Amino acid sequence: MRDERVNWFSKLVTVLAYTFILAPMIIIVIISFNSGEAIQFPPSGVSLRWYEYIVTGPTNFLKGLGNSLKVAAIATVFDIFIGVFASLSVTKYNFKGRGLLVSFFTSPMFIPSISFAFVLLRTTAAIKMMTPFSKILVGHLIIILPYIIRNTMSILVNYNWTVEDAAASLGANPAQVFFKITLPLIKPGIISGAMLSFLYSFDEAVISSFLTSAKFLTLPVQIINYLEFTFDPTVAAISTILMAASLVIMILINKFVGLDSMIN
Amino acid sequence: MKEKRNVLLLALPCTLTLLIAFIIPMVYTFIKALINDNLTYYTKFFTDPFYMKIFGNTIKLSLKTTLLTLVLGYPSAYFIARTKSKIKSILIIATIFPFLVSAVIRAYGWMVILGDSGILNQFLLNAGIIDSPIKIMYTETAVMIGMAQLVLPYMILSITGVIQNIDPNVENAAKSLGANPVQTFFKVTFPLSAPGVISGCILVFTMGMTSYITPQLLGGAQYLTMSTLVYSQIKTTYNLEFANAICYILVFAILIFQIVANNISNSVNKRLGSGKNA
Repeated sequence: MRDERVNWFSKLVTVLAYTFILAPMIIIVIISFNSGEAIQFPPSGVSLRWYEYIVTGPTNFLKGLGNSLKVAAIATVFDIFIGVFASLSVTKYNFKGRGLLVSFFTSPMFIPSISFAFVLLRTTAAIKMMTPFSKILVGHLIIILPYIIRNTMSILVNYNWTVEDAAASLGANPAQVFFKITLPLIKPGIISGAMLSFLYSFDEAVISSFLTSAKFLTLPVQIINYLEFTFDPTVAAISTILMAASLVIMILINKFVGLDSMIN
Repeated sequence: MKEKRNVLLLALPCTLTLLIAFIIPMVYTFIKALINDNLTYYTKFFTDPFYMKIFGNTIKLSLKTTLLTLVLGYPSAYFIARTKSKIKSILIIATIFPFLVSAVIRAYGWMVILGDSGILNQFLLNAGIIDSPIKIMYTETAVMIGMAQLVLPYMILSITGVIQNIDPNVENAAKSLGANPVQTFFKVTFPLSAPGVISGCILVFTMGMTSYITPQLLGGAQYLTMSTLVYSQIKTTYNLEFANAICYILVFAILIFQIVANNISNSVNKRLGSGKNA
């Protein structure tokens, strides 16, 4: 009776679908511990040699990692500021053209990254003082903004604004109301949105590969460049570490807001 | 009055950022190219069969990807929405986790599997099924496999949401009135889940049309899509003006598609809504 509605067909397809989704990632983890020279499955033995090679090999992946972290951190912090204010403006107040403003705030989502990357490449080429770092930063600022705004808005839509009035009527000034009442209540949503946006920027490779230079490479661009010439399990080792980090972030998000909030 | 001022102050930093770094560059680049070259490069694109074929291939690839993810995604979503076993939460985690893994890493996983000396060919050669490696990398098949794996979780989540909201009693009612499981599915469950199917398909198709990393790594220069064509115009033929035209053709194609698709989806939602009230 319990699973009567779920017939064997949907069970079978589910097994297929999740094998399809997970297999490449599981295989990456397995081959990263291979002790042999090339990519082998099953591995000829277990070793950490490819993990060592991340640091000892010719490509300075640590520098790329540092660059990616820097871009992602600055872009996320900047966007939290402007994004939370923007979300407040369209959730707290009801006015004509509100829907239009929301569409405007999330507009970068509707433009293909490749087109925006190309436009940035052309327009920033004319500005001499812009370094590859600042170009990539500007690109990332824009493309992660909609995610911060949508995440914050989804929290604010269900927010009970009367608690603000209550605080104000008890004598709190607007700054106190915001920092002592509103901010603590919406903080979990902001943090989870920030972590997702950070990860999006960290993993982003379209804008980065268009605006990069030999002097400033992000980790995903380094991986793409490396794959062009070498096909050993080094990238598998890096990928395994990054996937482990993503897993930690997912557990943290689950703790802050629950994974259900990510389903929409 | 005070409210108006507050809205303005709160919205201002974000509005300025978007205008300066996004809207103005996008509009300026489009108009400047239009003034300099009229429609020369747009005409070139639409009159040259070589480029039209790439445009067509990209649409075909996106349609195939959408169909494949729908076929795999719908039954999976149905299972997740309806099962009462503990595996449900594990499957939800397995659906969300890929969102947090870079497209570069996921494409790399397929390079490892599908490459000429990849795991699949190693296996088939060792088993004696084939004598020489089959070529999958840098074909439409490789890109489609990579794309489908990239976007399948979106499809599953989007459909799971609507099926969860369908009252199982509606299905039971159909059955008690004599409908067999297949009839129940096609006359009751599937129509009610249409909004989730449509929004999933819109999302997946759009991603298929615009993704760059997956076709770049799995299709390379041998199987071009619209987005990798832009790259090849910049890196190999240095034709920036033509790359510019392709970028904006993609922008407008996606905008038109989104508008049309959202209209369809709205009218379906409306019909379902009025059906409920009747």
